[in-house]
Amino acid sequence: MTQSRRKFLMGLGAAGVAGAAQLSLQSALTSFQSASAANTGGYKALVCVFLLGGADSHDMVIPYDQSSYDEYAKIRKPLLNSYARAPGGNSRARNRLLKLDPKNGNRFGNRKFGLAEDLKGLHTLFQEGNAAIVGNVGPLLQPMNKSKWDAKSVERPKRLFSHNDQQSTWMSSAPEGARYGWGGRFADAALASGANTNPDFTTITPRGNELFLTGKDAIPYQIGLNGAFDLDVLKKHRSKDYGDDLRSHFMAQGFTRDNLLEQDIVGFSRGAIELNELFNESLKSLVPIATQFPDNGLGKQMNAIAKTIAIRNNLFMKRQVFFAAIGGFDTHANQANRLPGQLRMVDSSITAFYRAMQELGLGKDVTVFTASDFGRTLAVNGDGTDHGWGSHHFVVGGAVEGKKIYGDIPPAKFGHAQDVGHGRLIPTTSVEQYAEPLGRWFGLNNSELVDALPNFKNFQTKKDMQSMLEM
Amino acid sequence: MNKPEKKSSIWTPVIASMFLGVSACGGSLETTGSDPIVAPPGSPPIGPPPPPPPPPPPPGGQESPFATKISTSHFLTQATFGPTPQQISALTGTNVSDWLLGEFQKSPSYNLDYVINFTNKPENRDNGHISYIGLQAPSYSFWSNAIDGNDQLRQRTAFALSQILVISHNKEGSTLYKYPTTVAHYQDILTRNAFGNYRDLLEEVTYSPAMGVYLTYWKNQKADPQSGRMPDENYARELMQLFTIGLEDLNPDGTPKGQETYTLEDVAGLARVFTGLSLNSDGFFRHIGNVNAQARYSPMKIFPKHHSSLEKKFLGTTIPAGTSAEESIDTALDTLFEHPNVGPFVGRQLIQRFVTSNPEPAYVARVSAAFDAGSFTLPNGTKVGEGRRGDLKATISAVLLDPAARNQSNRDANTYGKVREPILRFTHWTRAFDAGRVAPRDRRDLLDVSGPNALAQHPFQAPSVFNFYRPGYLAPGTKSGAAGVTAPELQLVNASSSAGYANFISDFITIDPYRKNKAEKRSFIPDYTDELAMASKPDALLDHLDLILTYGSMSAETRASILKVIESVPLTNENDKNYDGPFTRVSMAVVMIMTSPDYLVQR
Repeated sequence: MTQSRRKFLMGLGAAGVAGAAQLSLQSALTSFQSASAANTGGYKALVCVFLLGGADSHDMVIPYDQSSYDEYAKIRKPLLNSYARAPGGNSRARNRLLKLDPKNGNRFGNRKFGLAEDLKGLHTLFQEGNAAIVGNVGPLLQPMNKSKWDAKSVERPKRLFSHNDQQSTWMSSAPEGARYGWGGRFADAALASGANTNPDFTTITPRGNELFLTGKDAIPYQIGLNGAFDLDVLKKHRSKDYGDDLRSHFMAQGFTRDNLLEQDIVGFSRGAIELNELFNESLKSLVPIATQFPDNGLGKQMNAIAKTIAIRNNLFMKRQVFFAAIGGFDTHANQANRLPGQLRMVDSSITAFYRAMQELGLGKDVTVFTASDFGRTLAVNGDGTDHGWGSHHFVVGGAVEGKKIYGDIPPAKFGHAQDVGHGRLIPTTSVEQYAEPLGRWFGLNNSELVDALPNFKNFQTKKDMQSMLEM
Repeated sequence: MNKPEKKSSIWTPVIASMFLGVSACGGSLETTGSDPIVAPPGSPPIGPPPPPPPPPPPPGGQESPFATKISTSHFLTQATFGPTPQQISALTGTNVSDWLLGEFQKSPSYNLDYVINFTNKPENRDNGHISYIGLQAPSYSFWSNAIDGNDQLRQRTAFALSQILVISHNKEGSTLYKYPTTVAHYQDILTRNAFGNYRDLLEEVTYSPAMGVYLTYWKNQKADPQSGRMPDENYARELMQLFTIGLEDLNPDGTPKGQETYTLEDVAGLARVFTGLSLNSDGFFRHIGNVNAQARYSPMKIFPKHHSSLEKKFLGTTIPAGTSAEESIDTALDTLFEHPNVGPFVGRQLIQRFVTSNPEPAYVARVSAAFDAGSFTLPNGTKVGEGRRGDLKATISAVLLDPAARNQSNRDANTYGKVREPILRFTHWTRAFDAGRVAPRDRRDLLDVSGPNALAQHPFQAPSVFNFYRPGYLAPGTKSGAAGVTAPELQLVNASSSAGYANFISDFITIDPYRKNKAEKRSFIPDYTDELAMASKPDALLDHLDLILTYGSMSAETRASILKVIESVPLTNENDKNYDGPFTRVSMAVVMIMTSPDYLVQR
């Protein structure tokens, strides 16, 4: 637990929840006025939706012009055959793809693209101008292509193609064992500038101890799908003579042993009591959100995040970073039967979330973006695909300069300059280049961005991506 | 009643001198004997170079892990699913070598028969299919064996192995969810080989339908240049990354050398090996739902037509073109198994499962030496292991008897210990208070304990092949993480799961004694008879609970804060006829201990 969190909590103990809330509001206003480096005006939130397992974006953003599609269909024939046998027939047939009409389509010459029909909500958001695609994003230390790869003239990111390491690298620019994620570092910058009075609710997830959300000051706070968890035994005995003693026991108030793991457990236990109480107290004033969320694993997470954003003022938050994730994208087998449902889950959840933000009047203040371990091979292994590298992603929100494809979408064939073999794409936009406009929009200045994105300095700024988000 | 004194000093010099011997010989300790464990103390070694001399007999014929009730409780916390008061009493003063040898000999508690019977019962079927309850049979079987099984060390070892050689039948995205007999067959492979050899285990795992389905290499075809189809690389990659050698070359003490173990080309070469396997039926492409029942729990079969006949190159090994699947798999597993990484890679993870999350390199080196040698000498001089690389009896013995696991001075280091796995906390409670007699279907809350509102960990249902947590996990934003202390189990601990666990375990611990009378058939009813007798003597109650739950290690502060609450809980309440003061005191004391940092970190 960080020092600032502890200070905040110590203040809380005496004043009680309501009192502390008032106190925080005053200090929030004071800090806000003295804000310096980062832009802390209004409310802004970033929401990362991580597709665990390595989503096959070759099966999401699909060539649409006839000749590119034919090449694609030839290479992916075994998979398209599986699609043809799946219930509902071949959803990857050209005439069923959802054609994209990007404003900057001339960048790609005669090449056109379509989305898999499972992504119809994102397709609508794209066509409306509230979603963009960023093509071929992935971890890079420096610009890379096949000849540099072969010549080993450019350092390669560590542990490519390995799930856990590439998840970590996407989140933190380093393989497993990394300590800070760029979502957390973005939050740190906002905290340093006084956007929020305390770090406790600055990075939030309905999942677990997420690296992406971990900064030096910002530490992910976990919510349940229906609010935070109360400690039943404390509630049950609260009115008893020993209620207060029981609470201080659970707070491990007198605990002094120096074992680091024990100390960490104490930190988590205290957080589980004090922060959960504060969060649930704030949640009581939630005005229900009318937008319906899909009843699936990701939809529930996005709903919980939407509710948390709705009570942002009670929590005194002006900048927040959220993390949701869903597994099941490691489609080595049975891709035609498994991937469409996964994509529909992502599509319906992100779409509902966007509508909910509009309902809250925050359409332009909240930006959602996708991430994944890696893309997959263009080559098929029977009825699935294997681990790749670069992949295509979505950025969604009212602030997005949408209906555009940023980055590149390499051709669906083998042997080109960005093919490291079997259609594993060598990224043309590094994850840090993808993150940079998000950070700038979030309010970070140059030096804060350099702090959060250690390899960013090795890349030229992508001009078109500078205007991806309206400041 | 006074707290028993800690007496670890007798043990320390004995075991320390013995281990100096082992580590001096290191990985070169080789024997060829086939007689595993009956060699009398002091018998000459077979084959060069000489193993360490057998240790002198412990003073007074007493072996230190079982020297006192406290040390016994501590050892059983590491080696079993939780000490029971009966076991603590029975083993204190006996000999740990005898105990280990006894555990090695016990007949295994298996899972498959139970799961077949359970899933065939009419009440567990629904329109000819296995019902939701029926699909949980492997979990019930796990709980039964973990809690009530007599073969505790074997069960605990199998559970540890299940977190290295991971399959999962979790509901989200796993085909295995629907095939409980396939899961049970796999559980039995781990159980049977828990005291066998890691090489044999790898082979059974490779041919198991559970792993074949989970890592998608059943129905895996050779490449087809025409269509561009290539073999599925899933198993080839994870077999190397997670089951055998890991990503970086390791020193024998587990520290990385800074060089990656394999390349993309190695993965592609090895992937050719695992083509041509499918379920044991008449058709390579038959789905698991469409084969006879027995094929779901039999080793996979080779279909030569679908096996790659190309040359297979990986890690410096070349399998010539035209080699059969069986021979290719043999060569591939040999190649991986002989890699020097396997001992430290597997050894370190076993240490993490039994003893401590961040073992010192010398401890890892001693365990990997036992793994490499396939042999370990127990304190009474008996040699365990068949002298063949990968022997798990030798490896487990080395993990549990190492001075780093036993000596108080090591255990006092502020980086020492492990957060208890949530599953082990629950089994410990059931065993400590004899709440077994497992009929888990009576407890709906055991159907799925994977959420943060329960244990955040469900046996054989990790979220992915990367297990519940990673061996190299550094918890973000924590003191241990900042100090570079790996702490896998902390990956499960956060604001949600801390409260969720406390609620879950409290619900079991404080089960209403009056409800109990109405539903005698309910499972997991604790027997607090001994504890209730101490309700009016809170000091004695805490001594007793400290022994069976925290092996006498509870801090003075925690004890004081629990005592303060317990003494304030009235023994009687004239206004409430149903009030049970003694039960409230006992159950609250157990809840408070089992949620304290003293308990949650095993040291």
